[in-house]
Amino acid sequence: MATFILQDATGIGSDDLDPAQGFIDMTIIANDTGLGMADPAAGKQRLVYTRTGNGPPRLRLDAMINTAFSPDYGSGANNVDTIVVAGLKSLVLDDGTPMANNGTALPPKSSGLPGASLNPTEQCLVIYDTQLTICVASAGSGGSLDLPVSPPVALYHEFSHAFRIVTNSLLALTGVCDPSSPEERAAIIDENDLRTDLASRQGVSATLRDPGNHCGKVESDCESCCIIATLVSRSPRSPQVQRLRCARDHFVRGTEVGHAFFDHFFRDYYAFSPQACTLMVGDQSLRHQLLEGFVEPLLDFWNMMVARGRRVMSSTQLGAAFIALHADRGHAELRHAALLRTSAFWESGVGQSTEAPAQLMALLREHAWPSPYMQWALVAPVRLMHTLLTRYLAGADAPAIGRAFTKALDAWAPEVPISTLWAALPAAQVRRELGFCERALLQTTKSKTRFRQRLGERFPDITALAGVLGRLQTMDKGDTW
Amino acid sequence: MVSDDSKPGDLTAAIQSVAPVDTRLQVIVRLHNKAARALHYVADVRAMRYDPTTRTLTLALSDEGREVIPGLAGKLPLFRHVDPGSEAEIHLSVPDKIVKLSRSAGSAGSAESGELAFETQQLADIREVVVEVAWADVPYYHDTRASALQDARLPAARWEQHKARATKRQDKKRAPRP
Repeated sequence: MATFILQDATGIGSDDLDPAQGFIDMTIIANDTGLGMADPAAGKQRLVYTRTGNGPPRLRLDAMINTAFSPDYGSGANNVDTIVVAGLKSLVLDDGTPMANNGTALPPKSSGLPGASLNPTEQCLVIYDTQLTICVASAGSGGSLDLPVSPPVALYHEFSHAFRIVTNSLLALTGVCDPSSPEERAAIIDENDLRTDLASRQGVSATLRDPGNHCGKVESDCESCCIIATLVSRSPRSPQVQRLRCARDHFVRGTEVGHAFFDHFFRDYYAFSPQACTLMVGDQSLRHQLLEGFVEPLLDFWNMMVARGRRVMSSTQLGAAFIALHADRGHAELRHAALLRTSAFWESGVGQSTEAPAQLMALLREHAWPSPYMQWALVAPVRLMHTLLTRYLAGADAPAIGRAFTKALDAWAPEVPISTLWAALPAAQVRRELGFCERALLQTTKSKTRFRQRLGERFPDITALAGVLGRLQTMDKGDTW
Repeated sequence: MVSDDSKPGDLTAAIQSVAPVDTRLQVIVRLHNKAARALHYVADVRAMRYDPTTRTLTLALSDEGREVIPGLAGKLPLFRHVDPGSEAEIHLSVPDKIVKLSRSAGSAGSAESGELAFETQQLADIREVVVEVAWADVPYYHDTRASALQDARLPAARWEQHKARATKRQDKKRAPRP
């Protein structure tokens, strides 16, 4: 025995399940006339399959249907069948998880595998909603949840889990969906086999799911991100916002200190930004002004910092990069004028006549400007870009702009707010985190020296830090771990 | 100052109404943010629990207590925020019955040990509805640290700082639907 579709069971009505759709989904997966069902017995129908075609989906079905699996989970080999529970929308697992718009494969209760405690039987249960409306991340989309999942694809995904459950080869599973756990990655790779097969049948190229991303959403949900940048640039998926998000999530927040920085940053940023968005919604001219005079220069600055963090740039290269951003002189002049207007607005509220900017100013004065995180990450960079643009429009060339840029970064970078997390790190981690900061952000000897000085002054009696900083003093100035 | 810690009572919840609509129950929850900053909360039902003994239906807008299991997609909750000093309303819609995998049919030693069976719990005669809303004073973001991969909790359970809890007793027995 091997694989069944549940037709009926004690405790539910005959119309609660959707076994017919379950079999249709199975035939779509197989695309093979050799697939059928035996007569019902004990509320289940056994799948039978005489394979006539090749390809991963048919080979997998063949294995699942025609193999009697007897995995040994630690207490001896036992037969484990797979039962497909299709379309039971009201099903709720013991931990409260609803199965509407969902799918899972539960291992036998005595297997000890993830999900086994939710399964009261010794079978492997494949449970899925036959009317689901889920979107997942397509390959190459940068994480956009824009790829629909059809019921056969959902079923095949769960079959992939089921195969590793009944062969006792389930891989590591985590609750994090990005990046995918090894188990979910394997299931997505299998799922893509079916997507490729389905597309090939239709003579179109397949849109595949990103194996590195297991996240999903119900279709009506929307994405969240940096809401002010999104509001003024009108798109959470604009290339600049996407690049910054990628840098934030995979470059900076991947470190403990970077994560702690963003914990503080988000805390302060979201103390005012939701209300700021509300105030800006109805004020198109304000949105336009902030886009040109604040958000765009800020995004430009941070994109340059990300590029600089990935490879050390000389001051001339920095100057050239800045000039390349402002190659269109007419646009550069418009940007400069917008920066001037924004600066005047920040300082005095000048230039606006509606009520919203006054409220916005009050909000920013109370909640944004007092935060050292907002000052360092949002305010100072825009001022820096403003100063450099003024020099550029006055005729400065790349080397001159580069020198001014480097000097400004030497003053700005080491003043990054210092998290108390530094005091909690063991010495080895202090070395790693400091090394990252010095490579990605500080880079110059002057910056590194200043930052180490601030760290030492902030935590004079933390032995791990003092040890690392003391060791650095015996090395050449500016050396990085 | 913006970095003041939020307090558990900063977000309060009250159930405005519980009403059957077709084959579903509509539950309206009112949230009140007493803090001086926006608070972020889970706005969709992540788990449903029904205790037939007390006839209490608990709607958890929280991932706390949910297990990590193989599945189609890691669906994050729907996150919303409520402005300081403001109120927000969540409209929840859940089926008017819950089907669960039967423990008794599958228990060792029972006549039907190992058989797949279910229990259907009708919610038409619930006595009490409890809604638990997970919230935090910062929005949810992916935790990209390597250490997050070792955490057995779901990501949104790690994110939540507090829960606002609301209870409503269904005093009158509703007339059965025609």
